[in-house]
Formats: sequence, structure tokens, C-alpha cells
Amino acid sequence: MKILIVEDEKSLLESMLNYFTGEGNICEQATSSRAATEKISLYNYDCILLDLGLPDGDGLELLALLKKMKKKDGVLIISARHSLDSKLEGLDLGADDYLVKPFHLSELKARVSAIVRRKNFDGDNVIVFNEISVDVFAMKTTIKGKEIILTKKEFDLLIYFLSNKGKVVTKNAIAEHLWGDEMDISDDFDFIYTHVKNLRKKMLEGGAQDYLRSLYGIGYKFGAL
Amino acid sequence: MKLSAKYNRVNLITSLVVLAITGLIYYAVIHFILTEKLDKDLLVEENEIEQYVRTYNKLPLPTSYLDQQVHYRKLEKNLPAIRKFNYTIYYNPKEQEEEPGRSLTTSVALNGNKYEVTIIKSRVESEDLVRIILFITIGVTGLLLIALMLINRLVLTRLWKPFYTILNQMKTYELAKMENINRIPTIIDEFKELNDSANAMAASVRQDYTELKSFTDNASHEMMTPLAVVNSKLDSLLQTGTFTPAQGAILEDIYHATGRLFRLNQSLLLLAKIENNLLPDVQEIDMKQLVADKVLQFHELLEKDKLALIDQLKPAKVRMSKYLAEILLNNLLGNAIRHNHEGGSVEIILQSGSLQITNTGKKEELGDKFFERFSKSPTSEGTGLGLAICKQICALYSFSITYKYLGDKHLFRVTF
Repeated sequence: MKILIVEDEKSLLESMLNYFTGEGNICEQATSSRAATEKISLYNYDCILLDLGLPDGDGLELLALLKKMKKKDGVLIISARHSLDSKLEGLDLGADDYLVKPFHLSELKARVSAIVRRKNFDGDNVIVFNEISVDVFAMKTTIKGKEIILTKKEFDLLIYFLSNKGKVVTKNAIAEHLWGDEMDISDDFDFIYTHVKNLRKKMLEGGAQDYLRSLYGIGYKFGAL
Repeated sequence: MKLSAKYNRVNLITSLVVLAITGLIYYAVIHFILTEKLDKDLLVEENEIEQYVRTYNKLPLPTSYLDQQVHYRKLEKNLPAIRKFNYTIYYNPKEQEEEPGRSLTTSVALNGNKYEVTIIKSRVESEDLVRIILFITIGVTGLLLIALMLINRLVLTRLWKPFYTILNQMKTYELAKMENINRIPTIIDEFKELNDSANAMAASVRQDYTELKSFTDNASHEMMTPLAVVNSKLDSLLQTGTFTPAQGAILEDIYHATGRLFRLNQSLLLLAKIENNLLPDVQEIDMKQLVADKVLQFHELLEKDKLALIDQLKPAKVRMSKYLAEILLNNLLGNAIRHNHEGGSVEIILQSGSLQITNTGKKEELGDKFFERFSKSPTSEGTGLGLAICKQICALYSFSITYKYLGDKHLFRVTF
């Protein structure tokens, strides 16, 4: 997928670029509203990651511009503003999602993947990874053509892993993704272990390879060995 | 006490005292004048008797007219001459009753003998006159007072109307709505000034509010961005290669610390927002539904510590911000689970006017500092702001939140 990252904080931009590069993704960057306007007018992107606080203008203006140009690019707003007003304003102006800083890169990737999926496959929203195939809308998971039954949490977990193939995903990020970040949970995220364990068991029983690995006690990595 | 009541009271007391003194003086003067006149009449009578004695050389007959009586009494020869005015009571044969009178006692000499003459004139008429004058005075005074009070009341109420209009506007003033205090048409300088001052104050408060709001936004942005960088760098670092378990443990600690810092910052900003009522999404909330949702959300955490959940949920509707309602429940339920022991219990009782959450757990030595910021038990991993936020939310909507330790259970109760 082709992604434009509009962010003025250089080191954050760099982390995002690194995380998204690879797997055939093309990532471009813009650190100012002007540079972003230029890129948006010239090219089409699958998804634009848009920081609202830019040095030379509000990111919301870019959103309005996109709407005016009738562009179909997906937009994910990244903002440090945790205020309901700017969230609603952004979504009203046509943004697809809104993520508050600080965030986990894995969460960002999962959300971007979801936006791109929605944009690219109208109605037919299927993720395929080797022998695993997941129909997101129908909430159906098949392995080698045979359906396996997952709970809602396990299903969400699987999609999260598939969006972050080959990456180390922290338990922390998984907990926030599945239970929401407003739930001020203890720092002990071991309770997600049950869900990961069950998912892995069901996939193995369904005939899939063992793609899940626990790493350093911090998180998990999903991907071909 | 209202200003007009206070003013009326002073006015009334002063008027009464002044009128009472005036009345007394009035009474005394009239009384004095009438007595003088009676005395003059008595002297005229005495003079007539003396002339009669001189002319006819005998005493006139003792008379007893309607309001005048004359008596004689023989005196010892060598007694000195007397002449004395007196207030007296005499018997009026016509009215057949005792009446007040004024008497003159004097003496006349006749054929070498001395006689005492007592002339009594009735005071009834003059007393009546004084009384009538007094009644009229009191009546007029009363009328005057009533008229004064009525005028005061009517005029004062009308005069103060602009004041109360401004006051009402200030009472119902809502900062978040950014409204002005309307100009009241009045010619009274004081009220004009009050109106202007109220408006100036509202304007400066609005400005402060706007500045605070942007400060909150800026503070959030400034702190969250470096945090976002740290977090993203950690995520990136994790992808770079393989780590030893020791390195993994270090990374995990850093993740924990950043997570806590993030939550702390978020909680502080939230507190500021609640304090300044910056969360306007107030709506009717189905508490029963929301509590049920939260219980579902916390399901895994309850299971992890093998906590038994007992819930009695009755329908309850509460008007508040949805966001804050969720945070309130998150914090209370989160605490009930965190400060529990394995195999313990969490009990939620929702009624139409209250929510009660009870959980097993050991006693915390926090005293009444439970709801204070950064007060937490040394072993707690929370931010120490959760209950402070709960309290602030409750204060915002005038709910009450109380804590009790009963038996071996913590009991939090929110009354809507």
C-alpha cells in the first residue's frame, strides 16, 4: 500500500516510516502543511497519516482540501489533542479514524490496514495469509478452506496479528487494542495470555502452522518462521 | 435580610420614635393650654363671688350646676388666706357619676368670719378634646406610616428591578456557552456601573477560560509528543533483533514506566478538564446498560483473580457526560478489582438513585485522604488520581461519593 505520513516531529516520523516500510509498502513523508498539500495534489495514496498540529497550519485544513479535491484517500488523524471536539470535527470532515498520541506502532498499523482494506475491497474484505483466510465482515476464519470458530476477542486478536505480520507486538498494545485504553488496567497484562493461548491452539488444531511466538516476556510475534 | 427590608426597618423605627415624641409634646402643650383656660375661668368665678360678698355682704348660695360647683366652709379666724389650684374628682349629680375636675380653693372674709370657698369646674370636655386630638394624631400617623411603607415597597421593588435582572443573569451564566450579560435599560448610575462591571468580568473570565482551554490542549500536545516518540522508538527497538531475557525485562520496565507516565499525564489533563467543565457531551445515560457493558469489559480481569461478581442492576438514568460516566465506572471497577485478593468478590448494586460497589480487600491506612490526589497505598500501581477523578466527576454533577470499610470490604457509594 501507498502511504503518506504528515508529521512534523522528525523522530516520530522516522519510527513510523521504519515500521511501515517493507512488505511492498511505499511510504512518503511530509513535515509541513505545504509539503503535504503538494504531495496530495500530485499523487493518490491508500492512506494518509495526518498530524493535526503542523507548524504552518492546522491538519484539519488539509482534510478540507482533500474533500474539496474529491480525493478518495483514506485519512487517519494522529493527534495529541484528546478532545472530543477535534475528534468529531476531524471525523465530520471525512477522516476515517482518529488516533491519540502516544500510540503503539502496532495499533497504528492495524488501524491503517483496516482503513486500506475498507477502501480497496468494497464489501469483499478478506485477509489471506498462507493457509489462513479471514473474512473481516462476515467474521469468518478458514484454514485450508476449513472454518474454525473463534471468539470475538480471538478474532480481533488474529486480525491484529495479521496486520502486524513479522513484527513484535507488545502485550500492552494488545490489551489496549482489545479492551480500550480508557480502561486503566493494572500494568500486569498477563490476562491476555489466555486469549493468545486459545487462539494458537485453535489454529494449530485447524491445521495451520505455528506462527505465533512469545518474545522476551514482552510480547508476541506472528509470522512465518 | 434584604436591603429594602433593612431600610424599611430603620425608616419605620425612626418615624415611630419621632412621631411618638411629637405626640407627647403635642399632648402636653394642649393639656397645658386647656388647664390655663380652666384656671382663668375659675379666677373669674372667684372674682364674681368676692364682688357678690362685697355688694350684698353675704355669701352667694352654694351652687351645683352641670359642670360647676361652689362650696363654702367656715374657717378658723386666724388662719392665713389661701389660694390653691387642684386636680380633683367630684360627683356630678346630673350624670350621676364621678368626673374629673379642676378646683380652686380660696377664702373670703365676711362679717369678721373667714370662709373657705371651693369652686370646681368639670374637666370632662377638655379631656375629651385632648383625647380626640390625640386619636386624630395617632390615626394620621398610622395612615402616614402605611402610606410610606406601601410607597417604599412599590417604588423600591421597581427601583431594584434592574439589579435583580442582572443578578439573575449572573446566576444562570454558563461559561461554556460564551454568552454576554444583557444590557439593562436603566437611568440609575449604580446599576449601569454594575451592568458594565458584570460584563467586563464575564469578558475577562471568558478570556481566561479560552486561554486555559488552549493551555490544556498545548500542555497535552507538548507532553504527549515526546511520549509518543519514546513509545514509538521502543516499538521500533523491539523490531531490530533478538534480545536476551535480561534485556527483555529492561524493555518491559521501560514500557511500564512510559505507560504510567502516559496515564498520569492523561489523568491530570482530565482533572483540569473536569474542573473547568470542558466536557459538554452531557446526555441521558442508561446506567444499567453501561454498567453491564463495563462488567463485560472487565470480565477477563475478574477471571484472572478468580473474583466472584455479584450484581443487582435496576434501571437507572443519569444525566452526565458519557465519557465521564465511563471513566467513573472504569476507575471504581478497576479499583475494586485491583485492590482485591484472589478468590475475593466484587458486588455491584445499581438502583435508580445510587450505585454501590463493594469489594473484598485489606484495609488501607489512608484515613479520609482517600479521594485526595496522589494519595494511594504504597503497593498500588495506579496513578493515585483515579478516586480524585471520581470525586471531581461527582462534584461536577452534584453527586455524592462516600467510602466505608465494613468488615473486610471496601464500599464505595455514589448517590446521583
